Amino acid sequence: MANTTQGTGYRRYWITWFFLLAVTMGMLLLEYVSWPQWILLAVLVLAMLVKASVISGYFMHLRFEKPALILIIGAGLLLTGAILFVLLALDASRVNQLSVR
Amino acid sequence: MSQTLAAHGGHAVEAAADVERPPLGVSWQKLMMWTFIVSDGLLFAGLLVGYGFVRIASASWPNRQEVFHLPLIGFMTFLLISSSATMASAVAAAGRADRRATVRVLLLTILGGLAFLSMQAYEWTSLIQEGARLNANPWGVAAFGASFFVITGFHGSHVLSGVVILAITAWRMGAGKSTAGGVELAGLYWHFVDLVWVFIFTLFYLI
Repeated sequence: MANTTQGTGYRRYWITWFFLLAVTMGMLLLEYVSWPQWILLAVLVLAMLVKASVISGYFMHLRFEKPALILIIGAGLLLTGAILFVLLALDASRVNQLSVR
Repeated sequence: MSQTLAAHGGHAVEAAADVERPPLGVSWQKLMMWTFIVSDGLLFAGLLVGYGFVRIASASWPNRQEVFHLPLIGFMTFLLISSSATMASAVAAAGRADRRATVRVLLLTILGGLAFLSMQAYEWTSLIQEGARLNANPWGVAAFGASFFVITGFHGSHVLSGVVILAITAWRMGAGKSTAGGVELAGLYWHFVDLVWVFIFTLFYLI
């Protein structure tokens, strides 16, 4: 029974490893795909967030912690980063338009 | 009077137990490590958002396919992901009190980190030889050099710190002085370093 538990633990990590590598390969292969820029951007950002979730969930065991801890860490990082980016991106676009004129 | 004292003593014991009970279902050490990770993560978020601002505000930006060796960067990503997997295995081995396996897998993780740092050093050297500096570069956008060296340098210093932490953890585990909890804390830091690279790899090298 101990061996089964150990096997399950290692198996989970190697499945996670393989999944992360597969997603990384997919992201690199997008270099050779001629999709519209906004689709490529959306796919890359989505893949990035999926990888981040998998690493934090399975390697860092966050998935098995209490929901309150997950919420604090998720809100602390992702939400703050997203809010910062949205606020600054609007300003950056304005600066870009001013410099182009 | 003795009943009053007993009541107060009981209350004091209860209060002490409340202080000792860790919040959010994790140990104090783990909670503090997560607190550090969130604060350090916000630091990287600030750097990446700053880079995003500079890039969007610039009229042009160097073509990444002309500047970076993407196969090298891809292999560096593979190294860091693999070292994260070996680190998770080390934490599992430590949890089973298998000291030899823990040390063995920690050493593999350290090797992965050192290989990553060597490739990062090679990439820096190659770009510096082409003329990239903090305040200038041959690709026409001054902010590119500063963004690249600051972000990757900051991340690289975290990888180096992680290698040192893992080396100390491996030595302590080999000497029988470390606990599974200690290995887990070191693992959290190492996975965080990998996590940050996921964002840098996508936002700087692929987009």
